[in-house]
Amino acid sequence: MPTPDVTPIIPELILMVAACLVLVVEPFLKLDKTAVVAVALTGLLAYGAAAFALLGQDMAGFNDMIVINDYAIFFKVLFAAAGVMTVLMSPRYLEAHDRHLGEYYALLLFAILGMSILAAARDLMLFYVGLELMAISSYLLAGFFRYRLRSNEAALKYFLTGVFASAITLYGISMVYGFAGATNYAEVGAALAGDENTLGIAFATALVFAGMGFKVSVAPFHMWTPDVYEGAPTPIAGFFSVGPKAAGFAAILMMFLAVFEASVDTWTVIFIAFSIFTMLVGNLFALVQRNLKRMLAYSSIAHVGYLLAGMGAIGQSGDLLAGEAILLYLAAYTFMNMGAFGVLAYLKTQQPVTFDYTLDDMSGLARRSPWAAILMSLFMFSLTGIPGTAGFIGKFYLFNAVVRADLVWLAAIAVIFSAVSAYYYLRVMVYMFFRESEEEFVVGESISGPLAASLGLAAAGVLFIGLVPARLVDASATAFQNFLGL
Amino acid sequence: MEFTFAEQLGFRGLTLLTFLPVIGALVMLLFMRGKASAYKATALVTSLATFALSIYMAIVFNTDTATFQFQENFVWIDSFGINYHMGVDGISMLLVMLTSFLSVIAILGSWNYAKDRELAFFISLLALETGMIGVFTSMDLFLFYVFWEIQLIPMYFVIGIWGGERRVYAAIKFFLYTFAGSVLMLVAILAVVWWHSTDAGVTTFDILTLQEGLGGLPSNWAIWSFIAFFIAFAIKVPMFPLHTWLPDAHVEAPTAGSVILAGVLLKMGAYGMIRFNIGFFPEVAVDAIPYVLVLSVIAIVYGAWVSIIQPDMKKLVAYSSVSHMGFVTAGLFVFNLQGVEGSILYMINHGILTGALFQMVGFFYERTHTRLIRDYGGMARPMPVAAAFFSLFVMGSVGLPGLNGFISEFLVLLGVFRYEKVFAVFAALGLIGSAAYLLWMYQRTMFQELTNEKWLALKDINAREILTLVPLAASALFIGIYPAPILRFLEAPSQNLIAQVEPFLAQKQSIMELASSFLGGF
Repeated sequence: MPTPDVTPIIPELILMVAACLVLVVEPFLKLDKTAVVAVALTGLLAYGAAAFALLGQDMAGFNDMIVINDYAIFFKVLFAAAGVMTVLMSPRYLEAHDRHLGEYYALLLFAILGMSILAAARDLMLFYVGLELMAISSYLLAGFFRYRLRSNEAALKYFLTGVFASAITLYGISMVYGFAGATNYAEVGAALAGDENTLGIAFATALVFAGMGFKVSVAPFHMWTPDVYEGAPTPIAGFFSVGPKAAGFAAILMMFLAVFEASVDTWTVIFIAFSIFTMLVGNLFALVQRNLKRMLAYSSIAHVGYLLAGMGAIGQSGDLLAGEAILLYLAAYTFMNMGAFGVLAYLKTQQPVTFDYTLDDMSGLARRSPWAAILMSLFMFSLTGIPGTAGFIGKFYLFNAVVRADLVWLAAIAVIFSAVSAYYYLRVMVYMFFRESEEEFVVGESISGPLAASLGLAAAGVLFIGLVPARLVDASATAFQNFLGL
Repeated sequence: MEFTFAEQLGFRGLTLLTFLPVIGALVMLLFMRGKASAYKATALVTSLATFALSIYMAIVFNTDTATFQFQENFVWIDSFGINYHMGVDGISMLLVMLTSFLSVIAILGSWNYAKDRELAFFISLLALETGMIGVFTSMDLFLFYVFWEIQLIPMYFVIGIWGGERRVYAAIKFFLYTFAGSVLMLVAILAVVWWHSTDAGVTTFDILTLQEGLGGLPSNWAIWSFIAFFIAFAIKVPMFPLHTWLPDAHVEAPTAGSVILAGVLLKMGAYGMIRFNIGFFPEVAVDAIPYVLVLSVIAIVYGAWVSIIQPDMKKLVAYSSVSHMGFVTAGLFVFNLQGVEGSILYMINHGILTGALFQMVGFFYERTHTRLIRDYGGMARPMPVAAAFFSLFVMGSVGLPGLNGFISEFLVLLGVFRYEKVFAVFAALGLIGSAAYLLWMYQRTMFQELTNEKWLALKDINAREILTLVPLAASALFIGIYPAPILRFLEAPSQNLIAQVEPFLAQKQSIMELASSFLGGF
């Protein structure tokens, strides 16, 4: 048996080694976990660097089950960035909760490994392996504060709905296998191209959509999202809101364009309809939230709605533009949402007792810690889509693609919802800048170096994408074109 | 002659002009925290330097042509045809001067206003100035949209942090109104750019290229895009019935905010109509004439009517803006030289006079802490100098010949009259109304008996305050007596604007009858 070429999975191998190393190092440490953090960070950076070094490669390995190309690399680098930000904001936060354990980082790395596989898989079986690796690590992370009721609730809810969703996805996949007799994306696509739009394929499409819809929280499959974000450790909630979502969309793009090419008319309608409903649910429920983590959860649902509109545009026009825009949007979204959760994590470490993530707790923040307030405003403006920030560039490209797919009305609905969203994002600033806190806040520790670095990275990402988007635009364009060239 | 910055100036004048304020703000933020006199001086010097630069550029400016001048153009986002393209014509040159002028006035006028977070206050004002100048100097649609949205942020904070009692409500209302309008405009921008790229084969956001290239736009596209742009700008102007954010924002905003809001922000709406509604869709603009005129006349009459009964001085001036801005939109959409020139001159004059009125109301408020007209009375006794200045600005707003308001009102009325007499009659009614509410307000506050003995102890306006009013008064007088230098800037671009719509006007001879029949239906 010849030795397989491992080039396509070098980044994943690095990540796996790092995750195992974390578990090996951890028992030798007492209270100071710096070494674990260092290992996790190094692993993530090496993973991202290895992926970056492979840029321009286009090869498949292991019987075409997994590929390395610019598309997969784009997501790997994105996951690495999200992972680095999460790791950097964690130590002080976990210490504040007396639960700074090494497993946390190992689980995080395993989740990223799963996401990485998800974005690179070209085979339904491997896709499912990646999905489950990501999901199971996530369930554990959600319940990491196991002695707290909310965290338990989050883990249980996430687990039950997640398993259910995985089963539905698997059911859809098994039907696809039944029809096509193959699991490789390209082969399935070719096999299904013959019998277009049969009821069975439409059914399989709907099942996979519903299953993946759970994972990326498409309404009405979104019920778990606010509870999980609220209960999970804040850095992890931030990570959930960007990482698995980006990975989910990486997989959705590939699945629906390659595997379900035959049923494109069916799924275009599905995506457009669910896009509108998701935008509606996300934005309306976000309006009434007083807990910021829940507000951000609903806001993330709203953003999924915009992304689904992009999927609808791809189906409608077959245009590359919407795919590029989705990639760009995911990148922009990663930085701004991680940043917003990062500020919350910082405030929690600063006031472990008094801060409870409510709007009232934000009162007078501009006076207590002006920099936190300014950064939070930056992220809120970006989520609103104000020019000069990443969020605007993301929305601009996405809505542009939607308009060009001859779906001007859908773009109009989307922008009206983003005008609605301005209300709840701005409200955070109302509390931070326009109101004074009623109680005396005991200002605890100042910001820790890693957390500051994490926030700096997020802010730099938001501003860089916002002001000089050309590089990222080109990167997402080549990434997506490359993917279609498969 | 090439109208690039290199040929005309030798340096990137418009970029410098646009970003100078924000550079000053950055210097203040980084080096002057806690040093009140230093950052105040820097804020003033920065705004003065910006103003001086705009004057210098206006002198260099060639008024014989409608071509955009001082152009700078380089690639920003290549794959999308988005450029950093700046340039000004006569209209935007004047508005840039107005902006930098009023910014100086606002900063000097609010020297001791902000008791709290003073540094942030001045930084916000400077950031606002950058945003506003950027709107007027952008020649790329994307760049324009960026500035258009970004200036919302400093204004939002100015109202929300340093405003009156209901400031939070007013700030959010202001933001949401404008934001909702502009996101719809974004969709229209994307749609016309897309159409143009399929038609011409190149994607570009360049305003001039689009103006030339949108001629063949299918009419339903043009109509919907026109409406989307129009709503965005009508909110900003504000036109009836989208004006309801304005009284709240004005009343709650601090003095500097009101001056800038009335002086410049409202003009951005009318400017947008000139550039995009008329520039991009001249044919639809011609079709829209009767609707716009009806809405403008309603705004004129309704604004005047509502002003009369306002108990609050600031609110009165705010509603008077609704009325006055009706003249601007009316003059613009009659498409003759008097109307268009008068309308743009009206924007400048309104900026000066209403800015001055808000400034003065602010001065009174700082002394008495009330804005209610009934709390005043006999103020001319303790504050004769203030009363004298106040009378000048009130008379200017009423349209007294010899002051600037008269010239523009006269031109607009003439233009409207030449177009359709009925509208001119109604607009003149508004004029009478403005005389009524302004003079009555003046009489009740400055003359009559002293209602409150406490007011006798009030100090008259001091040297700094006079210093902010003198330039305003001087320019009001100057334009009133000798408007030619200002009008010279407007002639070429106004003719250019009319030339754009002329073919469609001629095509639609029956538009006059349409307008009459439309009005007859009421």
